[in-house]
Amino acid sequence: MTHGHGHDHGHDHGHHHHHHGEDGDAGSLPPALDLSVPDQELTPSQLSRRSMLRRTGLLGAGLAAGSVLAGAGQAAAASAISALAAGGSRGGGLLWLAGDHHIHTQHSSDAKYRVIDHVRQGNAHGLDWMVITDHGSETHAKIGVEKVNPDIVAARDKISDTLVFQGLEWNIPAAEHGTVFVHPGKNEVAVLKEFENSFDGSVKAAGANTPANEALAISGLNFLADAVRRRKVKDALMLANHPARKGIDSPHEIRGWRDAQPRIAVGMEGAPGHQAAGLPAPNGAGSGRGIYDNSPSADSFVGYPLESYRTWGGFDWMTATVGGLWDSLLAEGKPWWVTANSDSHNVYADTAVRGPNSDFNANGRYNDPVYGGGLNLTDTDFWPGQYSRTHVGAESFSYAAVMNGIRSGRVWVDHGGLISGLDARLKGGGNAVTLGGVLQVRRGRQVDLVIDIALAGGPNWAQFVPALARVDVIQGDVTGAVSDKDTFTTPNTKVVKSFEVNQSTGTVRLTYSLGKVDKPVYVRLRGTDGNRTAVGLGGAAVDPAGPAMDVIGDADPWKDLWFYSNPMWVLPA
Amino acid sequence: MTAPHHATGVHTVIGVDAGSANLKEADHLIHRLMDQLALPPGTLACSHLIRTAPRHRTAISLALPDPATADAIWDRLVVLLAGPDQPTTAAALSDRAYGPPEAAFSAAQAASEHSRKQGGRAVVYPGVQHMTGTVTVAEVLTGTAIDRITVLGTPPDDPRGPDGSVRVTTRDHVRPEWRDEQLVLTLTPAPRGMLAPFEVPNPTPCCADHS
Repeated sequence: MTHGHGHDHGHDHGHHHHHHGEDGDAGSLPPALDLSVPDQELTPSQLSRRSMLRRTGLLGAGLAAGSVLAGAGQAAAASAISALAAGGSRGGGLLWLAGDHHIHTQHSSDAKYRVIDHVRQGNAHGLDWMVITDHGSETHAKIGVEKVNPDIVAARDKISDTLVFQGLEWNIPAAEHGTVFVHPGKNEVAVLKEFENSFDGSVKAAGANTPANEALAISGLNFLADAVRRRKVKDALMLANHPARKGIDSPHEIRGWRDAQPRIAVGMEGAPGHQAAGLPAPNGAGSGRGIYDNSPSADSFVGYPLESYRTWGGFDWMTATVGGLWDSLLAEGKPWWVTANSDSHNVYADTAVRGPNSDFNANGRYNDPVYGGGLNLTDTDFWPGQYSRTHVGAESFSYAAVMNGIRSGRVWVDHGGLISGLDARLKGGGNAVTLGGVLQVRRGRQVDLVIDIALAGGPNWAQFVPALARVDVIQGDVTGAVSDKDTFTTPNTKVVKSFEVNQSTGTVRLTYSLGKVDKPVYVRLRGTDGNRTAVGLGGAAVDPAGPAMDVIGDADPWKDLWFYSNPMWVLPA
Repeated sequence: MTAPHHATGVHTVIGVDAGSANLKEADHLIHRLMDQLALPPGTLACSHLIRTAPRHRTAISLALPDPATADAIWDRLVVLLAGPDQPTTAAALSDRAYGPPEAAFSAAQAASEHSRKQGGRAVVYPGVQHMTGTVTVAEVLTGTAIDRITVLGTPPDDPRGPDGSVRVTTRDHVRPEWRDEQLVLTLTPAPRGMLAPFEVPNPTPCCADHS
């Protein structure tokens, strides 16, 4: 335990049954979820979380009965508490913890909020975990990476039921940005700082697309792995951010990161942040969702088509294309997970402006934001948790468990609160696995997919109750390693089943039989509000009603909602 | 279609590699050379992505109406580039080369791509001056050197292309590309039922490190 908090915290509101110190005491629950804490001992906000959960009838039932599914409205507590079905291969329950691994503060040259602003907002918007990821830069490496830490430590203490990681947004040499974050501990700053000084593409002037810079990126990942191996930090993860935005994350680079350090480089943003950027002018930025409005450049990968430079239903082309880049990795049998985050810098229609008389370069941060008197209608972002959520199946409410959950691929993502809970299992031969898992069965065994979904059940932050129109099961053959590392398609992945749901409250159970499985396959899930669909890029036989390309200047993100799950594999032997 | 040059235009297309880092720099270079070299009407100027070591960059090409004009422009260009305060720049025309060999090679690459009409993004082309404000699909096809329009994204592309009456909001930035010997403009759906060029004039820069 470092930074002087943990066992002694809780001074703000009296009695605490719980703490989430940096050692991540397994099994502890936020007070709102911990039924051993009586209502009268909860703060108003904690009580509100518990009430939300009670309203959906899931608190207690989920824990006591080990029910398959629990889920949630907007509050963090409500997004929690799921247990795998009896007979599952995993013992015990999972907490589905909503989070965001991509958030900027006043320590980024293009952002403005305090750490505590984001943590209070994220907490109020239902996030259980967040990662502070200011941009790597010379100024940040010199000042910001250290200066932000006391603010993060204070936020951990003040907002006890949201876990706050310190990370940074790495300028990946020769490529896009990526979230890098570590488990809290006494070396969290030192490791991040050394990493940034040694491997950040901006600090090292290593942004150009050259083999040497690509190699520097791999060295950075090796450094992180080494820091974990030598126990300088307890854990570290890297996730590629907005991967298709500028076409500069080539398929071989993505494979290269993953293959070099598969326990560190574990995934990418399935959907970028900046989702408010597509709101039409003049009351919006009039850009593209995710600010995806680029064209090919000399540094972009030559094989990427124009379609890859736009979002599709708010999601990155690599993820949104059935049989596309993401599927090409999954078809290789490579774990590679998708997330969805806010990338929050400047929040749409907020009134705050940067603190006056700031000197970012000298101070490593802008002065605290102030009331600007107007509405920031051309800002492009949502608060953490307001629109994009990454739900992680964690074995406890702890930093370590969130990182393990992400690494294991127990992750699904949603926009606009389309659904509040997802429990998907592959069952066969007396075993079952959930998201990210590998079901090993005897060849020819019957395998079934069982999906339990808690629908929205209440209004989202745009004040409507999203209705889930349809759920698609996407299945692909696992065809093994590709010889061309720049492969970004795979031929045998397609939508194999679509369920019409058309509900907004309650829960639904969907089942799909994979039949007798005699070859390795994987399945993943996708769902939509059904507002905007188009034939997928691979044709109607592959994806008859996939996401449509978002229109620059006319893309209200609330009117086009999707959720995506990570995959599960079946390996017959 | 009023493109003034021939498919075998190797003697009329000048390539230039000034090490431009991106499309915007290449566009600026083209406009600067248009002025400084007093390029004649009918010139077709393109940018080309050069993805070779040591540094990926954007080259340009200038297709002149005829070999005699190209020769004259070449002489002016070489004089210009030899002048003081000029950034290191290479150029190529047919078998002639100027400047550092590596860059002269990529300049030749750009010229060759343009000559064969297999690549290059047109910045200046016959009719470009009409591509401002809102125009119709028909006006794009009849008033400029653009041969064909394709539509990306929904609704699904009709092989015949969009109806001539559909309005196109140009954003004053229309950049067709050579593809299979045709100058092709890619459009996408835009607000209010219009179409717009896929390429946005001022794409959002990478947000890191511009304090």
